[in-house]
Amino acid sequence: MLESDMAIITPEMMKSYIWLETADGSIQQVEQEVAMFCPMICQEVVQKGAGSSKNNAISLPQRVNPAMLSLIFDYCRFHQVSGRSNKERKLYDEKFIRMDTKRLCELTSAADSLQLKPLVDLTSRALARIIEGKSPEEIREIFHLPDDLTEEEKLEPLKNTMDDPRIRLLNRLYAKKRKELKEREKLKAISMSQSIEVEDRVDERSVDDLLSFINGRDPKVVKTSKSKKKNKKRKEHKNGRSNGTCEASEKDSDNLHSKERNAKIVDESASSLGGVSNLGSMEDDILTPKAEFEDGYIDDEFDPVLKEMLDREVEDFARRLNSSWVLSLGQERQPVHFSINGNGTTRRLTGRAGLARSS
Amino acid sequence: MSDPRKIMRRYQNLMVGEALSNNHHYPVACNELSSILNLGYSQLPKNLKALIFRDTLSAFRLLPDMKTSAAVSAANLLLKSVEAVLPKQKKNLAIVEFKKTKVALKRRSKSHEEDIDLPSLPQDILIHIFSFLDVSSLLSSSQVSRSWNQATCEDSLWRLQYDIHFNHKALIRIQSGVSWREAFKNAYIGDNSSKDLRSGRGYCCYCDSVVWHENLRCPNKQCRLKSDNEPLELMSTRQVANFLLGTMSSSDDESDPDDEASRGLWAFTLY
Repeated sequence: MLESDMAIITPEMMKSYIWLETADGSIQQVEQEVAMFCPMICQEVVQKGAGSSKNNAISLPQRVNPAMLSLIFDYCRFHQVSGRSNKERKLYDEKFIRMDTKRLCELTSAADSLQLKPLVDLTSRALARIIEGKSPEEIREIFHLPDDLTEEEKLEPLKNTMDDPRIRLLNRLYAKKRKELKEREKLKAISMSQSIEVEDRVDERSVDDLLSFINGRDPKVVKTSKSKKKNKKRKEHKNGRSNGTCEASEKDSDNLHSKERNAKIVDESASSLGGVSNLGSMEDDILTPKAEFEDGYIDDEFDPVLKEMLDREVEDFARRLNSSWVLSLGQERQPVHFSINGNGTTRRLTGRAGLARSS
Repeated sequence: MSDPRKIMRRYQNLMVGEALSNNHHYPVACNELSSILNLGYSQLPKNLKALIFRDTLSAFRLLPDMKTSAAVSAANLLLKSVEAVLPKQKKNLAIVEFKKTKVALKRRSKSHEEDIDLPSLPQDILIHIFSFLDVSSLLSSSQVSRSWNQATCEDSLWRLQYDIHFNHKALIRIQSGVSWREAFKNAYIGDNSSKDLRSGRGYCCYCDSVVWHENLRCPNKQCRLKSDNEPLELMSTRQVANFLLGTMSSSDDESDPDDEASRGLWAFTLY
């Protein structure tokens, strides 16, 4: 009986198997000597005693999928046999490596995560042979890579090899914050001087000069900002909404211009804001701006019809611009908003935004 | 007074035909065939003419396997030489072969399927792959994409290249703060033989032959040991052709640019 039992026990049954689990959850077993050819698996078995049973399967790195695993084990199975000549191995390698580029990349990745250095070398050399002698465009086509370098970057190496896109973003944020701090200081200086009536005019003019200089649109913007200031002083609470807008917009136009933002958007929103505010205070303004005409600013657009047309256009534009500009402001200024409490500027901005929307 | 057998042996040693199946050497091999045809086909012994003709045909036949535009332009150049130099019968045979190839090329480019995205290779694998590349391929790779560009900035790669190119000069100026990339760039610009790098050819005095160099050294291990692993003297394609035909003249280098320029013009006037 014993003998018949012995006859049934085949050599294969004496082999020990190692259990492996790939990232997708499928579990398989492989002959021990084949699997042990991979240093990573070997390490797991020896150091942690894993892989002895289905429950205790060695979990393989993510880059190894079942298809690649079987390829790798084919390779291991061939090479771990000691009796083969160098020529045989070389021949096998040459045949083994014949596959499309995509699988070659996957195989390289998988072999690297299993630390199977000879296979990594083999696949790397094959990939290098593919890359050799090709132009960048051809390489991009084969490997499906994006063309995400600027022309200068192609000629010069990237300055910072440790460059994290987050670091770049951070640097940009810091630069913005520094700018904003500067602007706020300027604003404080301006608002301080504006509280004194006499100096107001001087300051206004200088600011308005700046505005007109920046805008290149002397009469309209200058006039409206001046009229805004007049409104503020004489009819503080009469036209609540529009005045509020005026106030805010006036501050904002200063803000805008001194902030050196995208000049075009700034100019247009400033003028549009001025336009919006004017709707409400047009009647009141008729006399007051004329007083200011001593300065020599002649306003052609005092024709009410024309003005209304323009204002309507400008208002639409302002609404559109405001919404997008405020949004972008909101995104960018988020950190600034929360860190500064009770800042008049901040409050005003949000106030204006609210007003603009409701109008 | 060129011994026909000597020339035949020289040509066989050049291994031009073998190089045609290599992606990297294909364009150069085609250029060498062009040069040989242009410079002295008529003087060659009959059997060598037949051999060269055979290699030209196989060059055309192998073109679809080479997926680079450099290969296509080299083949066009070869065709031009064929039209200018070969006798009528052979010329027609070669042209027929070339036309067949063009059809195969067109068919291939049409059936090119769009693959799904390839898995992106991690940086250290990229660097490992780049360590097997020659300088021009390395520079091409640096222009491919952002991640590849960063991989090519790896200084150890450039140290490797420096050792390959300038080892014999023994000017190991280990300046602090100067990267190996910079050192290589400076040494490369200062060196005059940059033009010959393109040919892939060098002269090994130990085996007394013109070889396809591997990393600037003779493929023969013995020669490498004998020369203490020093780089070979590089040869341009024109020099290779002259070497075969037995007309060695160093003044060829001056006329080289003109020749190349005019050849370049020819390349554009083809089908």
